[in-house]
Amino acid sequence: MSVVARLSANVRRQGEGLDLALPYLLLAPAVLFAFAVLVYPIWDGIRASTMSYRYGKAVGWVGFDNYTRLWSDPQFLNALWVTVSFVALAVAFETVLGLALALFCANEFRGVRLLRGILIIPMVITPVVVAIVFRLIYASDAGMLTVVSQSLGGGPVEILGHPARAFLGLVALDVWEWTPLEFLILLAGIQSLPVEPFEAARVDGASPWRVLLDHTLPMLKPVLAIAIVLRTIDAFGTFDQVFVLTRGGPGEATKLLSIYGYDTAFKFQDTGYAAALFVTMGLLILAAALAAVRIMKGMTPP
Amino acid sequence: MSAVTFSGVEKSFGSVAALRSLDLAVPDHAFLALLGPSGCGKTTALRILAGLELPTAGKVSIGDRDVTRLQPRDRDIAMVFQSYALYPHMTVYDNIRYPLRIRNMSESECRKKVTDVAATLEIGHLLDRFPRQLSGGQRQRIALARAIVRDPAAFLMDEPLSNLDARLRMTMRGEIKRLCHSLGTTTLYVTHDQAEALTMADLVAVMRDGVLQQVAPPAEIYDQPANRFVATFVGVPPMNVLPVEFGRDGIQVAGGVLGLSDDRRTACLKAGVSDVGIRPEDVELVAPNQPNALNGEVYVVEPMGNETLVDVRVSTGRLVVRTRRGFTAAIGSAAGVAFDTHNACFFDAQGLTRVHRAPSKGGE
Repeated sequence: MSVVARLSANVRRQGEGLDLALPYLLLAPAVLFAFAVLVYPIWDGIRASTMSYRYGKAVGWVGFDNYTRLWSDPQFLNALWVTVSFVALAVAFETVLGLALALFCANEFRGVRLLRGILIIPMVITPVVVAIVFRLIYASDAGMLTVVSQSLGGGPVEILGHPARAFLGLVALDVWEWTPLEFLILLAGIQSLPVEPFEAARVDGASPWRVLLDHTLPMLKPVLAIAIVLRTIDAFGTFDQVFVLTRGGPGEATKLLSIYGYDTAFKFQDTGYAAALFVTMGLLILAAALAAVRIMKGMTPP
Repeated sequence: MSAVTFSGVEKSFGSVAALRSLDLAVPDHAFLALLGPSGCGKTTALRILAGLELPTAGKVSIGDRDVTRLQPRDRDIAMVFQSYALYPHMTVYDNIRYPLRIRNMSESECRKKVTDVAATLEIGHLLDRFPRQLSGGQRQRIALARAIVRDPAAFLMDEPLSNLDARLRMTMRGEIKRLCHSLGTTTLYVTHDQAEALTMADLVAVMRDGVLQQVAPPAEIYDQPANRFVATFVGVPPMNVLPVEFGRDGIQVAGGVLGLSDDRRTACLKAGVSDVGIRPEDVELVAPNQPNALNGEVYVVEPMGNETLVDVRVSTGRLVVRTRRGFTAAIGSAAGVAFDTHNACFFDAQGLTRVHRAPSKGGE
């Protein structure tokens, strides 16, 4: 037997036997898991949104009635408005603040590493803990703001009992907690930019302000867009802080979609209507994200 | 347009000294090439002139302005970077226009200037593209265009051709030389490529380990190198350097005896010369065991097409001989080499050139 023949007797050819099935076998557990925890629940939610419930029990199929009911429900429209303004205000503040901090911390100076570390802290604290701390700050009887105000000769500070102030208080909490995320993403983005174009701009005559406007921001656009989209999606679903601080009150001043949906499902046991609300909310977020991706693509030069 | 002067400029990064007391004057309108191996401080010198680095000590002036502590934008210079440093988010047109826009030039004036420069560099058809859509050579031209679109006091070029392929590099070499010549702007050109330095520059400044070795016109750098480093760094293949001893008549190099004129011999002895340097083109191959020649062995023969390089091992080192095209010899065969000591230069133990190559004799 020649050497070549002996070798080829042991050689297995590609694309035969186990070779074909192996990829699917390896994927199967992940696919099954995804079906169990993602696809089925979403499907079940959509199914529930087309049913009428009484005392938590499905009593009949109603088609799209739950969906049409949403758009004539003043409470839903209010919750939608509160949510959109909350997201817009919070994300705008977080982006501007995060960008400013990232620009500052992208420079090398003594202690910058420590500063970067400190700026991350709010993000890694459990959200409910943050909410409880803010409740201690905002409490009108013995909260920190009241204590400070009284020590300066002022009266008690009422935050959570006042509609506009409660809303802004929530925005402030969100800004405190999530600016670090924007900071982190934007810092990484700034540090990944090439150095030479900035040196070229300085030599070409640009002041630091012009460098920021003409080069840093345009080159940072894709990263900026990602940071904004991430925070927007996340802020839409804000629940725990509001639940701890105001439960949507006073009145409906801080009633986000998530809180209103929670009340509908668990207080009023109107499961089908709540499902329709959350499916609608999901579609709104999806549409916003897709639009943002579109805009992002348009902004990146070919 | 103005002269550029470094006076006692020093720069250290932590404990590493990148520049040690650089004194260098570039006359108005001159094209000076800063030449040296990587890490010799030439780019640091350029960046200090640009204002991208601050010197640890010393003074930099452009014309009669002391610019040592000025921001880059206030120095009135234009720079071409090794990586081109184009603005990736701007079209070619906007890239070239940028230095003008920053100076609030009117749109119509900008358009005229950019179009003119684009025509000079033959990039008019690229103006609507983005840098990433262009080849290296095209980007290089855009970077040049952005530098010359305004009329700066000086051009700074940091190895602008090193990212191009060999053929394009040679073309651009000539183009940049013509361009700078026609603009007449004082130019500092950093390169590690001696061919660029010698072919393009009016003056070549050779640097090593942060120390300036010699500033001279290219021909002088080649013919009258100030020291052994310059002699062996400039020239392809480099100058041959061999230890030398002074016998009763002439000099002894690697066991061979070569004649030397009396005045050169006296000068050598007085200066304590220890080595002799000779360019490959000044050495000739002769038959072995001839008088006034050294004996060696052919180590390798390298045909270059238009000429042949022969590497000959002699007892104290090697000699590269540049000889006629089509020359052949067997590896390992015996060979004799000879040279006229008038064409040699002599170094002392510190490597300084103590006796230079004699001016070429008439009729040769």
